[in-house]
Amino acid sequence: MKSLICCLVSSVFALGLSVSGQVIRIGVVGPMTFIQGIHHWRGATLAADEINAAGGITVGGTTYTIELVRVDSNEMQPGPDAVSAVERAITASKVDFLIGGFRTEAMLAMTEVAADYKKIFLIAGAADDGLLKGRVDKNYNRYKYLFRITPVRSTYLAQVSFILLRDVVETFRRELGISQPKIAIVAEQAAWANMIVTLVALQAGTPVDKGGFGGQHVGTWRPSALATSVAAELTAVERAGAHIVFTVFSGPVGVVFGRDWGRLQVPVAAVGINVEAQAQGWLDATGGFGAYTATAGIYATGVAVTEATLPFIDKFQAEFGELPLFTAGTYDALYILADAIRRAGSLQTDAVISALETTDYVSTLGRIVFDELHDPIWGPDYITGLGVQWQDGSPKAFWPREWQPDPAKFPDLVIATPGTVPYVIPPWVKDHWQGK
Amino acid sequence: MYYGRYLLRYLQNEILVLPSRVIVLVFVASLLAFPLISQDPNLLRMLIVTALFSLYAVSWDLLSGYTGQISLGHALFFGSGAYASALLSSHLGLPPYATIPAGAAVATLAGLLVGIPCLRLRKHYLALATLAFPIMLTGLVLAFPGFSGGEGGIWRIARLTSTRIEEYYLIVGVMLVAVFALWKVAGSRVGLIFHSIREDETAARALGINTVRYKLFAFALSGFTAGMAGALYAHSSAARIVAPGVVLSLFMSFQPVIWTIFGGAATIYGPITGVFILYPLLDTLNVVIPKYRMLVFALLVLFILRFMPHGISTWIRDTIERVCPSCQVRNIATRQACRACGVELRHMQP
Amino acid sequence: MVASILVNGLVYSGVYAMLALGFGLVFGVGRVLNLAHTAFYMVAAYGIFYFASTGFGMPLAVVLTTLGIVAAGIAVYKLFIEPVREMEATVLIATLAVAVLLQELVLVFFGNEPRHVPPALSGFTQVVGVRVGNQEMVTLVVAALSLIGAWFLLSRTKLGLAIRAAAQDREVANLMGINVNQVTAIVMGLGLLLAALAGIAVAPLFTVEPGMWMNPLVIVLAAVVLGGLGSLKGSLIGAVILAFAEVSVVFLVPGGSYLRTAIALLIMVCVFFIRPEGLFGSSIAEER
Repeated sequence: MKSLICCLVSSVFALGLSVSGQVIRIGVVGPMTFIQGIHHWRGATLAADEINAAGGITVGGTTYTIELVRVDSNEMQPGPDAVSAVERAITASKVDFLIGGFRTEAMLAMTEVAADYKKIFLIAGAADDGLLKGRVDKNYNRYKYLFRITPVRSTYLAQVSFILLRDVVETFRRELGISQPKIAIVAEQAAWANMIVTLVALQAGTPVDKGGFGGQHVGTWRPSALATSVAAELTAVERAGAHIVFTVFSGPVGVVFGRDWGRLQVPVAAVGINVEAQAQGWLDATGGFGAYTATAGIYATGVAVTEATLPFIDKFQAEFGELPLFTAGTYDALYILADAIRRAGSLQTDAVISALETTDYVSTLGRIVFDELHDPIWGPDYITGLGVQWQDGSPKAFWPREWQPDPAKFPDLVIATPGTVPYVIPPWVKDHWQGK
Repeated sequence: MYYGRYLLRYLQNEILVLPSRVIVLVFVASLLAFPLISQDPNLLRMLIVTALFSLYAVSWDLLSGYTGQISLGHALFFGSGAYASALLSSHLGLPPYATIPAGAAVATLAGLLVGIPCLRLRKHYLALATLAFPIMLTGLVLAFPGFSGGEGGIWRIARLTSTRIEEYYLIVGVMLVAVFALWKVAGSRVGLIFHSIREDETAARALGINTVRYKLFAFALSGFTAGMAGALYAHSSAARIVAPGVVLSLFMSFQPVIWTIFGGAATIYGPITGVFILYPLLDTLNVVIPKYRMLVFALLVLFILRFMPHGISTWIRDTIERVCPSCQVRNIATRQACRACGVELRHMQP
Repeated sequence: MVASILVNGLVYSGVYAMLALGFGLVFGVGRVLNLAHTAFYMVAAYGIFYFASTGFGMPLAVVLTTLGIVAAGIAVYKLFIEPVREMEATVLIATLAVAVLLQELVLVFFGNEPRHVPPALSGFTQVVGVRVGNQEMVTLVVAALSLIGAWFLLSRTKLGLAIRAAAQDREVANLMGINVNQVTAIVMGLGLLLAALAGIAVAPLFTVEPGMWMNPLVIVLAAVVLGGLGSLKGSLIGAVILAFAEVSVVFLVPGGSYLRTAIALLIMVCVFFIRPEGLFGSSIAEER
């Protein structure tokens, strides 16, 4: 057994020595047997092929091509596998950079390994604030190697989902004449969701002029992230008399929610964060019952966030037959890395970090500039994200449509992304509250 | 000089005569000498985890293999050891040499706390009641995310040592010493009483043995060992994070059972054999064929148990060694006469 | 509120009861703690997904799935479990290995993304002011029919008598001329039939994914010991208690609905403090 591993390790090592000099090795980290990891890999291969076809990366007269190394972190299964995979990638496969990652607890451990070995890790797929906050700011020298590309950190995700909720609340006021819509919260039991839940519960009843939603909070339900049915929770939500249910899901319970909600035609409008609803297979997974689900998202059909968005989506769809998931942000991560290496003019880690810190790059997600936490800045002119609703069988963007980020200071600033459509209250919800 | 000769004679007369003892000697020696051959951090880390899990598996064997008190919730002890030391390390900043004993102590306490109510439960009832405890502790961890880190876990944990080799020797050393001590306990009168509780508790009680006290001792000792493994794990380079999805999961509870039954229960060396075969195998499969690793793993366990239902190490021992029918001394299978009393062994069936 | 708890609790009770009865039967007669029981339930859900999506009619899909599950289950029992039946810990791990094997096979063939099975009856009905999906009703009816069928088989037929005799005392039943091994295999098939029907009934309700066997396994184990091992009545009542405990947590402590399994298990442990042999178990079960 040991000798077999030795043999494997040494052969990989020998391979590394023989071709180094022209190759930059990049480890793509993800749960490779799961849809999230598959999209990590797809996004990265697309970018690597494009960069290599365009002549690779030239640094100080030498031209490097990108070579991707698949790092299966097996994040979905508990255990020490994720740490092993990353350390093996660094020491045995000799990767120079790492991109990807998905689950918070695995990412915390894997980024520790990267910090130990002083390897740059571009996070593409995990939103938890704590991956960078409290690390890059508190102990810069140890954690300066970590950057996040996508998604924006969960505080900002929360901000987007609040704006979406406000949109829906407004729609209820305007179309149904309900002045104080009742808001229920259904959030999976997960660390990243706690803060969002607390804030929404706090602001739901706060009047609009004080920055709240001007509604009424009627209860919070926290099913397990792995629950296989939420019919009971939904019955309870309906009993509480809610008009709108604010969702916070990253795991498979999101599918469960979408399906039970549509199947039982619970008369509440669902909006918030539902990561599964960003995937192309959402309608299939929910048996068509997930229509009208609204979620903060990254990609939507026919919406050009920047000039880079549509070419990427089209190419991804042509190649793999589906919309990219947010973990396919490895595509942007690779381009940003290539850009930083070119600007640094060196492969030296510290030089690349300095270059990354001064990144100003128009990606498929928006314009990426890092703040002092190495998080991409969120806001108008930078990354905003999208509000996505499933209408007529495809994910349509309904925000930013007529967004005034700061009406008090800049009344003329209105963000309107081309290709967006208005939010639609699910017909059965509308019928119910109109008394039909 | 005298001791040297004594040692040599001991080696010749007591160890080299039996293949199983030779195997143990070679195993310990190669484990200690391994860093001389390779210092690859991945191999060292894999062996560190294997050593930790050996300790964890032995703790299960002690409670369930010896006394027959089947625990299906052993992750409770591993997890409470890991959590206690991780919490002390990240909240109070205590060094590992303080947090690890504390973790082991907390797990011992958990062993007693679980052991006392479970004294009344028999067999399957006990197995399933213990199954519930780690799940309930997980609920507790999730309910107080501010303190416990919730499902994301705790990650600001001090490192055991600064280099991988030091960590390797520390953990392998602790494992070898602890296992040797447990081996002595298991071979002593206490071990005999453990066996008797498993075989017939009523009879043991009738002989005047306070079985309640011994069962509680087994719970506490097992909890201590598992807790130490958990605490070491929390500080090791393999973990870096203590999360309920890892240390308190159903899989973590079942793992020591798989290793021990696979290797051979109520033997101490059985669980170690099991871990040293299965864990490196799983780790290697993860590199070679990640998609099919658990499939291969399950098939292997199934077939080994089908044809060696008493475990692989028991099967090997019974194949290479024979017990003398008259004086109960073990002999190598190739011997024709017993090494102690000279009785002919040739036509004996295993 | 009471009505909601009642209606939702009934649906869960039906599913858990089917699983617990099958599991309890296998344990009672075969003395096999079959950790793979709910894995077969998971495979049944995938079976119905596969056959339904390849265009077989629903009735044919149900028949094919149940037959497949029962055949596979008996084969596994004969090949891997029966030869080592006397060694309890070995059986435990062998069945666990079977469960993992089934999960991994499903992963290889179907991947891990959640699958959807179209409901037999879509839409919903208002029952005493509570919104109940029609599929939930179907599930409840299937559960009721299966349980009545099982009860009829056990109490009114000769085979049932043999099964109950073997469950009560394997050795004596053997002496009385009952082919215990054969009865055990039949019971294994019967238990898996119930598991398969449960899997088919819930496939449109729950998400079909490879890990869906874990949580029901914990609940079923808890239900069976709560009721008292070897007591079929106990298994059913245990399942109903745990189902209602879970649903009540969701309604009464909304912020803690992730704790529902933990609280259901806490109830089980508390019962053990009062009655160590479960609600309907016999205290001399050990001596058998």
